[in-house]
Amino acid sequence: MFRRGLSLEQAPPIKAVLRFFITLPVFGLILSCLMIFFPAEILTPSHPFSLSAIHLLFLGMVSMGMIGALFQMQSVLGGAPIPQPLGNSLIIHTLFTLGTLALVSAFMFGIRELFVVTSVFLGSAIVYFAQILLPLLFGKITHDTLKGMRVAIFSLFITAILGIIMASSYASQSFSDHHAMIRTSHYSMALIGWISMLIMYVAFQVVEMFYVTIPYSDWCKHNIKKILVIALSLKIIWLFTALPFEWFFDMIIVSLLVGFMVTTTKRLYTRKRRVSDASVWFWFAGMGLLGISLGTYCGSLIFGYAPLESMSLMTFGLFALSVILGMMGKIIPFLVWFHLNASGFMETPVMSNIIPQKRLKITFWLFVSTAFFTLISPLYPTLLSLAGASGMVTFGILFFNILTAFKLYYHISKNGTKFRFNG
Amino acid sequence: MILEFMRDDHRACDALYTDAENALANKNIDEAKRLYNEFYRATNHHFNMEERALFTTFEKRTGMMGGPTQMMRYEHQQLRAQLESMLKALETDQYDDFFGIGESFMIMLQQHNMKEEQMLYPMIDQTLGTDGELMVQTLKEMAQ
Repeated sequence: MFRRGLSLEQAPPIKAVLRFFITLPVFGLILSCLMIFFPAEILTPSHPFSLSAIHLLFLGMVSMGMIGALFQMQSVLGGAPIPQPLGNSLIIHTLFTLGTLALVSAFMFGIRELFVVTSVFLGSAIVYFAQILLPLLFGKITHDTLKGMRVAIFSLFITAILGIIMASSYASQSFSDHHAMIRTSHYSMALIGWISMLIMYVAFQVVEMFYVTIPYSDWCKHNIKKILVIALSLKIIWLFTALPFEWFFDMIIVSLLVGFMVTTTKRLYTRKRRVSDASVWFWFAGMGLLGISLGTYCGSLIFGYAPLESMSLMTFGLFALSVILGMMGKIIPFLVWFHLNASGFMETPVMSNIIPQKRLKITFWLFVSTAFFTLISPLYPTLLSLAGASGMVTFGILFFNILTAFKLYYHISKNGTKFRFNG
Repeated sequence: MILEFMRDDHRACDALYTDAENALANKNIDEAKRLYNEFYRATNHHFNMEERALFTTFEKRTGMMGGPTQMMRYEHQQLRAQLESMLKALETDQYDDFFGIGESFMIMLQQHNMKEEQMLYPMIDQTLGTDGELMVQTLKEMAQ
């Protein structure tokens, strides 16, 4: 396993990663259209359009970006690269994209059969991804990041199983007494077990090393995953057995996430590397959005006001998206540079000429305006249309950024001149 | 033991690079050049410690000649080429080029460091056992 981990395949083929990243803004554009034309429906909790919007955000954008990033980071963080990356990424990407489209269409157009199609495609994509990735995370050498990644992938698997159970209920229109509990367990596993766990354990490595900050404490790295797993498991048991004080476990989870937010913000603020970089802005924005999400969630628990819970969910998605966009802004130019440079092309541009920092910063401010209008839309619902318009421009530019990087790569790899070594 | 010693050295090199980058961003050119030269020397010394002592001992003990250590040597070559390009950019006052190359260099270096810290050093620690202390001593002496 170790030999494979440090083989010549330092980075997967560029297509294996970029196909996920380029799909993200496409789903962003679809979501933005929905926000422009159906703001009231999206802001109505449990409305089919609202469920479509939530799944576009969490599946089409957040999970799509995270799976793409895992294809890139697995060999570095996980110790061994994903085997046959081109073929496997094609299978997973196709199934995942079709599954997400089927689910969104099933909710929007009320076509029950599409829930079955969703279960087949999304279920296959996630089970296939988990069965490839999980064995790679169990080697002789182990560390906290690997353990965190294991929990995240396992949680994604459980999220998919619960999703399939719910999809079968929607398809047959017969909802069991446990439907609400399954739904809560489904999104708790997705938000905490999958998204939060992966972001935190990647942050523990990436923030310290890329921005040259003081390290996160060993206690954090070692114990957060354990506490989260225990709190999440007990919350689900409490839910299904209707025991009182379930909120206690929510508070444990919220406390850990607040700790992560404060610690990360502090580390980034006091980072040694001060060179202006849009990815740091995305991290800061992400931490701010996480704080708002946790605050509104606590508000929803105290006041029992459903729109606050919806707002918390949307803000949580924006937090994850902000971190992912920041990382994509680094990964994409790096991959283009790395592959061209490793192939010996003389025309290999520096990273800042592949996606200029100026364009990344414009994307950042547009993302901030999208997030801002989304956040205040529960008070003024028509502003969600404005958020949608801002989202259209944000994801349009993001799509353009990725496409031009991809085109540049292909142009140089086809027409570029390679260094010739004599002797 | 090896992990802690080498990880601390990685961080010391990162700090030197960051200081050089910050000095250049603040247009403190002479200071940036001085700090970069220190970083250049420290990083090359780190690679040399690995290639001349750590990796060779690991290879002798395990018989693993063409495996992870070989891959790390290959990455050292790529990183050394980047170090030279940045030095050239700095010496010829091409500061935008320095920052441009530095961005990809830093990602490549950190990915390399992560692989070493998470996989290779723990393996070397396991292989050397109590001889790890002697190895750290040898590495320290190489600095003198």
